[in-house]
Amino acid sequence: MSDQKQKIEIGDGAAIPDPEDKGLISAWWIALIGTVSLLIILPLLKPDPYARILSFVPDGILVTFKVTIASISLALVIGLLTGLGRLSKNRFINLVASLYVEIVRGVPLLVQLFYIYFALGRIVRVPDIVAAVIAMAFCYGAYMGEVFRAGIKSIDHGQTEASLSLGFNRRQTMAYVVLPQAWRTILPPVGNEFIALLKDTSLVSILAVADILRRGREYASESFNYFETYTMIALIYLLITLVLSRLIANMEHRLSHYERR
Amino acid sequence: MNAADPIIKIRHINKYFGSFKALDDVSLDVNLGEKVVVLGPSGSGKSTLLRTINRLETISSGSIIVDGHDLYDPDEDINRIRMELGMVFQNFNLFKHKTVLENLTLAPIKLKKMEKGRAEAMAYELLDKVGIRDRANHYPIQLSGGQQQRVAIARALAMEPKIMLFDEPTSALDPEMIGEVLEVMITLAREGMTMVVVTHEMGFAREVADQVVFMDGGAIVEEASPDSFFDHPVHARTRLFLDQIL
Ligand SMILES: Nc1ncnc2c1ncn2[C@@H]1O[C@H](COP(=O)(O)OP(=O)(O)O)[C@@H](O)[C@H]1O
Ligand SMILES: [Mg+2]
Repeated sequence: MSDQKQKIEIGDGAAIPDPEDKGLISAWWIALIGTVSLLIILPLLKPDPYARILSFVPDGILVTFKVTIASISLALVIGLLTGLGRLSKNRFINLVASLYVEIVRGVPLLVQLFYIYFALGRIVRVPDIVAAVIAMAFCYGAYMGEVFRAGIKSIDHGQTEASLSLGFNRRQTMAYVVLPQAWRTILPPVGNEFIALLKDTSLVSILAVADILRRGREYASESFNYFETYTMIALIYLLITLVLSRLIANMEHRLSHYERR
Repeated sequence: MNAADPIIKIRHINKYFGSFKALDDVSLDVNLGEKVVVLGPSGSGKSTLLRTINRLETISSGSIIVDGHDLYDPDEDINRIRMELGMVFQNFNLFKHKTVLENLTLAPIKLKKMEKGRAEAMAYELLDKVGIRDRANHYPIQLSGGQQQRVAIARALAMEPKIMLFDEPTSALDPEMIGEVLEVMITLAREGMTMVVVTHEMGFAREVADQVVFMDGGAIVEEASPDSFFDHPVHARTRLFLDQIL
């Protein structure tokens, strides 16, 4: 049953440790212990400025999480629709979905952020954070679309035929039979995209959204402790992505229960 | 529909894949309770014919009427018609993410709005019938091929279809597992199920079939009772096929 083991390789994002890969696991542990130790020891040894930096950024962490969660949720919805659109036999829907993916893939994220932020700003007045979320989701939705498309295509057509032959229509077949199985193939790349998106939210600091990075920049420009500030910022991002990658790996393991003999 | 009318009426159907003609002016009647076995060399169009009966393949011309419903009448709901037609595939196609029990209850619960407890009770009955109740909570991958195919038959039966379609149900099985699947099919036949079976199992054809259909090159070459088909084949191509296989 080698076809079930197949994974969609879409690079970018943190390496999610595979429980069976000992080398990666120990790298993960070393990174985690190192990160946590530094985050504890530095503020203890040198409260000024490390402890002050730490007390300055929590609002930013919250904003980063909010932007990430909102963006990924919206991107998943856009991604599902895009993936289905790209698989659709309807020429028009297929074309629209494909065009969207092509455009998004061809324009740098930072340029898209500026474009949506300022273009949207001219048409409707929305809070900065909403504009940022829409821009992130617009971009990541295209990548998610490719992930969904590949995941759905990876499911044996026999599953669809069995479902149709029982009397399920196409939509029910997608919902009850194909997507629940595709989810297993989709999860690792979605996890990667999630972590990549979390890191990319640092770009929204340019749009007057007070995320981790922006809070750090504010602190650094007041105190001139650039080195110390960005060290702490990097450690915080690292801690978040390390923990997330582990959570996702665990979830992936749980989802594959029906593949174990 | 008249009681004596065939439950499946296939009239002059043609089927093209691109420019390739896979079905060539095929007509066939199946009466209620009748067992039709379709034989023929590989690539002769047996699967294609079987799959047109529940519209998994669409036809290029001709007509198919199942239990009084024209499959190509835009006013008919194909999904409703498919509920009357159970299908068993060569590769089982059990839902891999569902347990054996869930494979059987999914369609009755979602499509017939059957209450879960009732669906499960019926599922256990069917699992008893195919001799596999003890595997109710296993996933398909944990079962042997023969067990999976018996579950697949039970899954189709859970919708209480009027007709069962089988596409080489034993061809993917190890030889020692063929018997257990055929046994289930023979039981089903004895109970009066209307069956259309594509198979290479000649023993099964002889024992169960009311009508044997021999296909070659997308056309039905010969139609006969099993005795006259096996003992007095009329067409040269039929004799050639039987010589090669027996
Ligand atoms: N989806 C398809 N596209 C193109 N050709 C097909 C397709 N399905 C079947 N065929 C062709 O139609 C012919 C009949 O196929 P099939 O009905 O599967 O034969 P059988 O079941 O008798 O072995 C074969 O030549 C096969 O290659
Ligand atoms: Mg075939």
